[in-house]
Amino acid sequence: MKRPPFWRNIRVIRVALQILAVAVVVGAFLYLGNNLRNELVEKGLPTDFSFLSQPTGVTIADSDFDPGSPVWRALLVGIKNTFLLVIVGIPFLTILGTLIGVARLSTNWLVAKAAMVYVETLRNIPPLLIILFVFNAVILQLPPPRDPATPLDWFVISNLKIMGPWLASSNGVGAFLIIFLVAVVVAVVVGIWRTRYSEQTGAHSHRVVWSLGVFAVIVLLGYFLTGRPVSISIPVLDGRVITGGFGGLGAYFAVLIALVMYTASHVAEIVRGSIQAVPKGQTEAANAIALSGFQRLRYVILPQAFRIALPPIINQYLNFAKNTSLAIAIGFAEITLVTFQAIGNGYPAPQLILLLMGAYLLFSLTISLLVNILNRRLQLVGN
Amino acid sequence: MKKNLFSNWYNSVLTVVFGALILWVLYALVKYLIGIDTEIIRVNLRLYMAGRFPSEQLERLWGAIYVATATVAFFARATVRNAQTKATEAGLDFERSSWTDVVQRFWPIGALILFTLSFTETITPTLLTLVAAAIGLAAYWLGGMMPMWLIRRSWIILVVGLVGFYAVLVAFGGVGWDLWQGFFVNIVITVAGISLAFPLGLMLALGRRSTLPAVRVLSVTYIEFLRGVPMITLLLMGAFALGFLIPGDFQFSLFLRLLIAITLFQSAYIAEVVRGGLQSVPKGQVEAAQSVGLSPWKTMRLVVLPQALRNVIPAMVGQFISLFKDTTLVFIVGLLDLLRAVQISTAQPEFFAQGLEAVVLPFAALYFWVGSYVMSRESRRLEKKLGVGVR
Amino acid sequence: MKRLAILVLALGLVLAACDSSSDDTTTTAAADSGGSEETTTTAAAAASGSLLATVQDRGTLNCGVNDAVPGFGFTDADGNFSGFDVDYCKAVAAAVLGDAEAVTYRPLTAQQRFTALQSGEIDVLIRNTTFTSSRDGREGATFLTTTFYDGQGMMVYADSGITSIDDMANLSVCVLSGTTTELNLAARFGDTPYTPLTFDANDQLQAAFVAGQCDGWTSDKSQLAGVRSNFPEGEGGPEALVILDETFSKEPLGPVVADGDTQWAQVVNWVVLATITGEEWGLTSANVADYDGDDAGIRRFLGLEIETDDGTTTFDPGLGLPTDFATQVISQVGNYGEIFDRNVGPDTALGLTRGVNALWTDGGLLYSPPYR
Repeated sequence: MKRPPFWRNIRVIRVALQILAVAVVVGAFLYLGNNLRNELVEKGLPTDFSFLSQPTGVTIADSDFDPGSPVWRALLVGIKNTFLLVIVGIPFLTILGTLIGVARLSTNWLVAKAAMVYVETLRNIPPLLIILFVFNAVILQLPPPRDPATPLDWFVISNLKIMGPWLASSNGVGAFLIIFLVAVVVAVVVGIWRTRYSEQTGAHSHRVVWSLGVFAVIVLLGYFLTGRPVSISIPVLDGRVITGGFGGLGAYFAVLIALVMYTASHVAEIVRGSIQAVPKGQTEAANAIALSGFQRLRYVILPQAFRIALPPIINQYLNFAKNTSLAIAIGFAEITLVTFQAIGNGYPAPQLILLLMGAYLLFSLTISLLVNILNRRLQLVGN
Repeated sequence: MKKNLFSNWYNSVLTVVFGALILWVLYALVKYLIGIDTEIIRVNLRLYMAGRFPSEQLERLWGAIYVATATVAFFARATVRNAQTKATEAGLDFERSSWTDVVQRFWPIGALILFTLSFTETITPTLLTLVAAAIGLAAYWLGGMMPMWLIRRSWIILVVGLVGFYAVLVAFGGVGWDLWQGFFVNIVITVAGISLAFPLGLMLALGRRSTLPAVRVLSVTYIEFLRGVPMITLLLMGAFALGFLIPGDFQFSLFLRLLIAITLFQSAYIAEVVRGGLQSVPKGQVEAAQSVGLSPWKTMRLVVLPQALRNVIPAMVGQFISLFKDTTLVFIVGLLDLLRAVQISTAQPEFFAQGLEAVVLPFAALYFWVGSYVMSRESRRLEKKLGVGVR
Repeated sequence: MKRLAILVLALGLVLAACDSSSDDTTTTAAADSGGSEETTTTAAAAASGSLLATVQDRGTLNCGVNDAVPGFGFTDADGNFSGFDVDYCKAVAAAVLGDAEAVTYRPLTAQQRFTALQSGEIDVLIRNTTFTSSRDGREGATFLTTTFYDGQGMMVYADSGITSIDDMANLSVCVLSGTTTELNLAARFGDTPYTPLTFDANDQLQAAFVAGQCDGWTSDKSQLAGVRSNFPEGEGGPEALVILDETFSKEPLGPVVADGDTQWAQVVNWVVLATITGEEWGLTSANVADYDGDDAGIRRFLGLEIETDDGTTTFDPGLGLPTDFATQVISQVGNYGEIFDRNVGPDTALGLTRGVNALWTDGGLLYSPPYR
């Protein structure tokens, strides 16, 4: 078979096209990058990342940040704050979203309608608006920090900071932690043992009671044996300083509440859709073996629905992480605001924005990776 | 339906609890609505809708609205006639939506317009709105006289409308787009953003499915990169960094830079939407096209894309809604959209420190809500009609 | 796998940008900007001409201003700009274009203002911007004659009992991001702990201050005076707030132009100086057009004909402006005193006194070089 001439040879064309595509893209990058460098030099701005080690010059709220610290440390504080939003928000929004999604399908007309109103209202409003509303109409309505509310003497609530009781540790906590871990392992072992026992003999396993019981006994023994190393720390007002306890800035809670409510409304729709996507045959089969409504939901419907819902829910987690950038509007020092401050104080914008994008990419990819591991384990074999 | 409220003790408890909650919310709502002072809205309505549009050029704004209304009406009529013609040619039944049907679909928008007009201080805006309605109806009726060649290429109407819209606003010493503000700019950015991003997104989706590994890698990198960062970072890039990429003293205006940033951002999401559509076309279609001897390009153009794009209309509407809500983010670069205008008004000396945020924020929310709700209802209706997802 | 590749690619991009430039780049950048400024000036003069020519061709002046600071840069509900800085925009337009109303106002956020100037989006920035060395050096900007000598202050509630910054340990302070106020605040507090609340714009900041989330609000004293004067009676009126005496930084405010255009910088500079010179000579918008005295100095200044032995001449200092630019400025906008009194003076809501902003003959800092 004669080979076609090289300009009609499909393999040559393919390679040529790819080389062309890469050349165009690389060429564009080089051209723009060169422009960028020239413009920066012309304006007397640094073209590399050395500015990161210069002093920031500003303080950051609710942290021990010192204005003399380098810029890169400020960026890390910003990342830490974003992280705090993401790590607390995702579990809450999942739970809230699932509850509302299930409620939407409730046979109780009032409950179903209430859930529908919640979803349809919040889903169609910009998240920024919700954040502003929660901040202005809820958080700022709390008492000012010079005269905070202290309900039950256990909380200190002001529109600046909301603090509650937390655990505090003292000597011997290391040993206690080891005993704690041991207790967890033993409890799991006991649970497995009781399950196997129940499978063999047919008697009730009571495995939850057994596991928890063993766990509680070991932990309590350990607590007293190590000299009570853990106590409750209550936030105490000393003039304007609050010692002890645990909590966060009012702005943090505003962003958290607003974005959890907003993202939960999307998750609720996903959960509802996925429950409805479970084949009706499953419901009928569950009814045929006389499972109650709750049992049917818990053992048959939800596990299958969850498998369907997980990929779109991952998307909502990513949206949540990205929407935390809106906190810039109410002054919460997450990574976007810190970057913005740095740009405003004369540090070069192109490099800072590149770093900012990199930070969010890191969050996005980490969340995707972690949840995808879960997703893969849930996949049906052979799918 | 209502019999389930008290069917067993569990339901009864839920009903009582939720009922009490709802009553409490309604009570607070009514008390709030009676007590509020809408003076701030009345005074600032023009700021909310059009920002600081020069008052002596407002005729241009109304002119642009008329052009837009006429374009939409013409296009709607063309689409209806197009479908009608194709249906009769194929021998199928064609059912036109009645006027009552249209009203039922879009009544929230009408209600919102009336709501807005209730805050105006003179009769002029109401009269001008009636003129707009008249123009819309006239255009729809005139659309019946359009020639067939135009109807088959109804996108021409959109292009002409777009050019006319821009010309009315800008030509002969008009109002450049840096002064397009308020709710007007929210709408303009949404429409412009999606329109510009669509061709780019389409190319990226095709690139992602390409058999050429280099092209695929480049497309995937672009798409995953832009989907992993928040839109605010793109806007910051547009405002602060894009200017450095252009050599010399020539500069794009802020509005254009933002539009570029938003287009790049949206194109990645549209690429994913289109990719879903391309995947939904059964392989059998491609094989059938090949067996008839169509080239790869012809297959794509005549067989795959029409089906793919039709399947993704609901998802595209979803993306439209998402961009519509995200246009509020332009506050960060100083562009005055509805949400920012509303915030600024609470800081004006006459309205400062009176807790009016609780009045104006829900007001602004209403506009976004109506737009998003109507569009999502349309998208669900289209999903049902097109049978997307039903095999 | 694919996602890991993207992550690596992104990191690679970042790292590539890092190490492609060596350490000398920072030092050479500083030296280069000196050198490259020369090239840009000659290139600018040769290629596109000075901004002066561009503005005159265009017919309008693009002026970067504020839109939310009463007395300096403020818009009302109809979109009309007014204020001290806005009046100086008008003055430049009157000088360069002969028409004080030929201005396109571009309201800018604090963070964007220098980028807008660098990129050529605006011709001049008159937006209560403080003159500092790092801004002069790093921001590619040239600062001109100070129009308003201000200082940074702190505003607190009168009933809080705070009398000085030293009383404010562990309290919270609201501040605008991207301003010198942020940096000065951190410097002033030093090691004393406090909670800064950083906002990107004043409206949210005001709401937070009114709600008591921050105990203090720091900004230029002129801005604080504006806010205080507008404080509603429902919250206690202006008497409910007090601006602490301490001025903890120098805030000289003035117009800013982009680096590299000497002619334009000089033009804007002399417009400012013209308003001061006008007041020194007692010329106001009412009497400047009718001046027909014999003082050679004033006649030179106003571009009127001067009798010499060889006939009549008009004085042209070679700035590139029309010879009667001073007359245009003063008749259309006013002299310094008029601009001050109209926008921020004792009879306005701000109620500021001239203080250090008085003429040097009255003990203030305003002094203009001879127009000769």
